[in-house]
Amino acid sequence: MAHGYRLVQWTPFKKRYDLALLLGVVVFLGAYLVAGLAFTPPGDRPLPIQLALRAFGAAAFALLTLILLIGPLARLSPRFTPLLYNRRHLGVTCFGLALAHAGLVGLWYHGFSDLNPLVSLLASNPRYSSIQGFPFESLGLVALLILFVMAATSHDFWNNVLGPNMWKALHMLVYWAYGLVVVHVMLGAVQGEKSAVYAAVVGVGAGLVALVHVLVGAREARRDARADIAAADGWLRVGPPDEIADGRARIVTPPTGERIAVFRDGAAIHAISNVCRHQGGPLGEGRIVDGCVTCPWHGFQYRPQDGRSPAPFTERVAVYRTRIEDGVIFVHGEPVFGDEDVPPSVTAGAAT
Amino acid sequence: MKQDDFFIGWSAETPRADRRFLLGAGLALIAGGGALGAGLALDRPPVGDGVWDQGTKHTLRGVIGREPYPVLRSRGPDGAIRTVFLVSSGKTALRLDPRIVGAGADVTGTLITRGDHAMMAVTDMAAAPASREVALLVPPPAVDRGPVMLVGEILDAKCWFGAMRPGYGKTHKACAALCARGGLPLAFCQIGACGDAVQAPLLLDADGRAFGRNILPLVADPVSVRGRLVAVGDVLQIRAPFSALHRL
Repeated sequence: MAHGYRLVQWTPFKKRYDLALLLGVVVFLGAYLVAGLAFTPPGDRPLPIQLALRAFGAAAFALLTLILLIGPLARLSPRFTPLLYNRRHLGVTCFGLALAHAGLVGLWYHGFSDLNPLVSLLASNPRYSSIQGFPFESLGLVALLILFVMAATSHDFWNNVLGPNMWKALHMLVYWAYGLVVVHVMLGAVQGEKSAVYAAVVGVGAGLVALVHVLVGAREARRDARADIAAADGWLRVGPPDEIADGRARIVTPPTGERIAVFRDGAAIHAISNVCRHQGGPLGEGRIVDGCVTCPWHGFQYRPQDGRSPAPFTERVAVYRTRIEDGVIFVHGEPVFGDEDVPPSVTAGAAT
Repeated sequence: MKQDDFFIGWSAETPRADRRFLLGAGLALIAGGGALGAGLALDRPPVGDGVWDQGTKHTLRGVIGREPYPVLRSRGPDGAIRTVFLVSSGKTALRLDPRIVGAGADVTGTLITRGDHAMMAVTDMAAAPASREVALLVPPPAVDRGPVMLVGEILDAKCWFGAMRPGYGKTHKACAALCARGGLPLAFCQIGACGDAVQAPLLLDADGRAFGRNILPLVADPVSVRGRLVAVGDVLQIRAPFSALHRL
């Protein structure tokens, strides 16, 4: 946890994560450059700088695709959740690769002239009304600016300054950046290709990103549409306690407001907002650790009885009243933000 | 999943199951990334055999011409008269001293060559003493070889000759436009052959002069041209009015 800016140290996991990231980038770029230079006849060999600018661009696209796959994959299987923990490192690296690509393009294609490279980039091709001839460079520039803003605000300092909602909204711009990059490649490099490999790689990457998002969305929509949660007087039916694993939660969706995570901690039943105050992570997919609901994304913790993070941290989420009737848990859809604890419901028959 | 399997990023311990999975996933991603990188590098359009040898300076003696582009007509090692286009090291035309135009000169620079084409990025130029050899190098008259109708791409000759590899196509359009704007020679390659071709005729207006900046929007786009093929010594030209150029 980071609010109050206690430094989260370089855990062994973090070090291995970044080492794997570095290795992945080096292997990708190395394989690209070696294949393009050493396994190509001298008479058909591109200039190293032109090969390098393509390599950096391809690496940035591949990494951005991976970044966008991790979120929904972590929702589909908790096995992928650790990949999400340091995802911001991937984002900053992706921006660095994209910047290297843009820098080489600016130098090589737009430099060595008496015209400002930025003017050249934006004005050398005026065909903004054409699809085939569209100046694809401008799309890449906008995507790069978005990636820059995201990289610059990736630290939790900015999450705290901007607030989690604004921060989240800002970082959702990554989808615009990805869309711009896809069109940038399709209207740029792919236009000059003789084979369909580049187009296929971009299409498969973008298709995978779309597919996993649709799968997660469909799963959430099915859960939100559960008919058996409806109940009278604002109380929602959750289900029997023994259907919830110890330390885990079932997520229910009230008619209005945020989803609710109903946790079972031994015999105690708690209900808490499903939305983590850090980055909006799904608390209901986390578990209770040391008596606190723990977010699966970055490990932010909240006491289930009052929704507050343990001192010295200051985050807070809503909690909800629960009751057990005829062996069935009910939760009230109205959030509670009072100073008093919301006592858990206790089930005598729950499995532990 | 067991309780101990729950991953907490800030924890010093990573669950064993996660370690195994992440090791496998990480290795697969790294290997897959390498294979993807190599595959993408090998799958690309042809570059051509143009070369800019920036490591070797040459000095050529010949006669300087200015129209439509600066050239040096000199005698090659095989004794044949050869036209070498003269350019600066960047994306701007070479500024010629008017006193040297039409006269003998020693020109020093690095050579950009593709097929029979030659271009020199000039670093130094000096008047050469008059001689009978120099006097022989007077430009021959233009020979009209008849009408042509071609589909292809307007190139900047410097990049296509070898300053860039590859030096054609849409990703190169901005660079080609800068070169054209700077007054560098324009050439024409037929569609589908821009990467492999070893010859690209100059593209000039109907009177054999260089086009102005009005041609910039058409550079590096697929176009058709209807004009006449003209030979001036060892240089082939397509001469066509601007109205005979059409974007496809």
